[in-house]
Parts: sequence; structure tokens; C-alpha cells
Amino acid sequence: MKPETTDSALVEARNLSVSYGAKRAVDDVSFTIPKGRVVGLLGHNGAGKTTLMKAMVGLAQPQGELTVLGLNPLKQRVQLLQSACYIPDVAILPRWARVSDLITLMSGLHPKFSADRARALLKRTSVKLSDKVKSLSKGMVAQAHLALVAAIDAQLMILDEPTLGLDVLSRKAFYEMLIDEWCDGQRSVLISTHQVEEIESLLSDVLMLNEGKLVLSISLEDMDRRFVALSHDASVAEQMAAAHPLLKYRVQGAGSMNQASLFDGEPPPHVQALGKRMRPSLVDLFVALTRKPELDRTHF
Amino acid sequence: MQTWDQKQPIYQQLADILAAQLLDGEPIEGQAMPSVRALAGRYLLNPLTVNRALQALGDEGLLENRRGLGLYVTAGARDRLKAAERERFLHTEWPRLRERLRRLGIGAEQLNWEERA
Repeated sequence: MKPETTDSALVEARNLSVSYGAKRAVDDVSFTIPKGRVVGLLGHNGAGKTTLMKAMVGLAQPQGELTVLGLNPLKQRVQLLQSACYIPDVAILPRWARVSDLITLMSGLHPKFSADRARALLKRTSVKLSDKVKSLSKGMVAQAHLALVAAIDAQLMILDEPTLGLDVLSRKAFYEMLIDEWCDGQRSVLISTHQVEEIESLLSDVLMLNEGKLVLSISLEDMDRRFVALSHDASVAEQMAAAHPLLKYRVQGAGSMNQASLFDGEPPPHVQALGKRMRPSLVDLFVALTRKPELDRTHF
Repeated sequence: MQTWDQKQPIYQQLADILAAQLLDGEPIEGQAMPSVRALAGRYLLNPLTVNRALQALGDEGLLENRRGLGLYVTAGARDRLKAAERERFLHTEWPRLRERLRRLGIGAEQLNWEERA
């Protein structure tokens, strides 16, 4: 992710690490998040996603450089949280409260929270102001939470697995509200999830973590250009394998061309001639780049 | 949720969907296209992807940018689309269909050209 100009960057991390005792949860990562982006933070459980997000809002002590909205998250946390909002993966709303109570609470707590905006956002959902949190379904709670957070006039939203445990319709409603009501070309959102396939089309950029290390930081547009996926016949599998693809996998509904190989960069022309070019999908890249190395060559 | 295949870039798939709608008169010529945000919300796409799709339709002369107002369907967009579709049918689909008809031994006289069976 390259910012057009440095001042358009909302987040800048350089050689950033976060350790818990001897364990490096985030290991020497550098990246930039410019304005107006939807950035997916992908990684297996324990890859360091939550830790990285915590560091960005001053909840974990990092080594290296980290600037969020031009501020130091650890030292200027109060100031930062006026313009950055965060839903942690363990977020809960008080069960006894009514939604209207939460709006009153937020109005008192946050200088940039707009109660009118929150009410307008909630109108999109089936959540009523008089509803108690404990009477809401999981999907409704997630939507109420998003509405409360999106009613903050902030620059950056950080969402740690916001759709975990939600059914498909609730996830869709959540993403719809995020795209419709938050993304205005200026504000950015960083969102972590395991639903890689589902979120791909929403993203402008992706950050991929594997065991604390950043294995990929790229815009989806550049991803399409850099990685080449070729679907091919089983009969040419050996020639494909000889060209060292990142990943070999099966594809659906492509007739006899039911195998595919994913390459980092253009494979040699004689290899390209053996297959048909496809769009490299994020989930395939995710599998290719976050597998454990020792598993890499035992399959296929 | 809308699913996107792996054959083409997502923006191209959206451009195809929007072109098919234009052919059906949605929206009709001279009318405004839905906003980038509306399309992004409807198809759950990143706005940048929507922009690329609209750009592609603009490059084909189907949409025009009216300064300060947004994108509008150009006059003659449907004719242009229909011509492109006919071209594609005659050069890509018809040879395949003809081949299949030959293989099955079906002649023109055996085909029902009327609306009803």
C-alpha cells in the first residue's frame, strides 16, 4: 500500500513489533494505511491480528514506530480515540441497557458522537431504541454496535472480527451499513476476519499476517496484476509444478481444466500457454502464503 | 450474497451486470446512473471497484460524465450494446451452437421458430 502523499496516511507502522514476554506476537511489520481504504487484516488464529489492532489504539506496548492519525497511540490515546473508533473482538454491550440508554451514554462520553446520526443509522436496522440489549439477536447487537460506532465522526475504524458468529444475512447487513454509511472516500477501515472469500470484494487492500510476520501488504488492484492463476488440465500438472507455483489447487466447473496453479509474477510463456488465465482469488493467496512451510511440498 | 467467479476481474463482472441492465433499459438512456455508493452497497463491493466498472462502461461510450451531476446513460447506449451482443452471438455463440446442431443432426426445419410449442 503506497500512499499518494505522506500526509494522506492514516496509519504508519515501521519495524513494528509487539512482544508478550518471550513471544513476538507481531514481528517487525511495516505498512501504511492511506485515506479512503477498506483494509482487510487476515491471518490464522494467533497470527497477531488482535495484537496489532490493540497496538494501534494504544492497548499494547509496541517497539518500533507506529503513528495513527499522526499520533502516538500509547502516549496520546485519549486524543487518538476522538478520531479513531474500535470494536474489539471481545466487545459487549451491557445487557441490561436499552439502545436509547447507550445513545445517551455515548453522547456523554464521546465529543464526536452524534446521537442524531446514531438514530438515523439504527433506522436502517430492525433494532428499536426501546429494545434492551439482552432481547436482541447476535446479528442485531452487531448492527447496533456498528451504528453506535459509525455515529462517531472519526477518520479510522478498527473492527476486530465484527461478524464472528453472525449468520449470512446479518453479515450482509453489517457490511452493507459499513459500505453505505462509513466509507466516504476519506475515512478508512481496518477489518479482521476469517471470512476471506466473503470480504474480498469489499476490500481495497489486504494485510496478511503469518505467525506475527507481514507476508503480504498489497492493494487488490495490484494483487490482480502481480499474481497469476492458471487453470489447466491434469495432463500438464507436472510441467506446471516444474515452474514452482505458490499453490496448486482444484477449481470447480471448468470442465477438464479442473486444476489450477498460482504464481507470484508472470510464469514463463511456455507455462502460460499450457493453461488459461484466471483471477487470482484472495482465499487461494491466503492459503498459499500462510501455510506452514513444512506442509508445503508434501501435498499434490 | 452476490458471488463473483474467478474467470474475470470483479470490476469486469460488475460492468457486465450493469451493461445487461442497460440493455433492459435500467436506467433508460439520458437518465442518471445510481451513485457509486449505492452500487457499492447493493453489490457489497469496494467503491474503487465500482469506479473501475463505471470507467469501463464509460470507455465503451455507454456512460457520460455530466460535470457536477454524475454519470448518465448516453443516447444510443442500448443500440451500441445490442450491436455488441449481436456481434458476440454471431461470432462466438453461433459457431458453437451450429457445431452442436450438426453433431446432433438437427436441421433448421426441425427447430420450432414459433413462440409456442
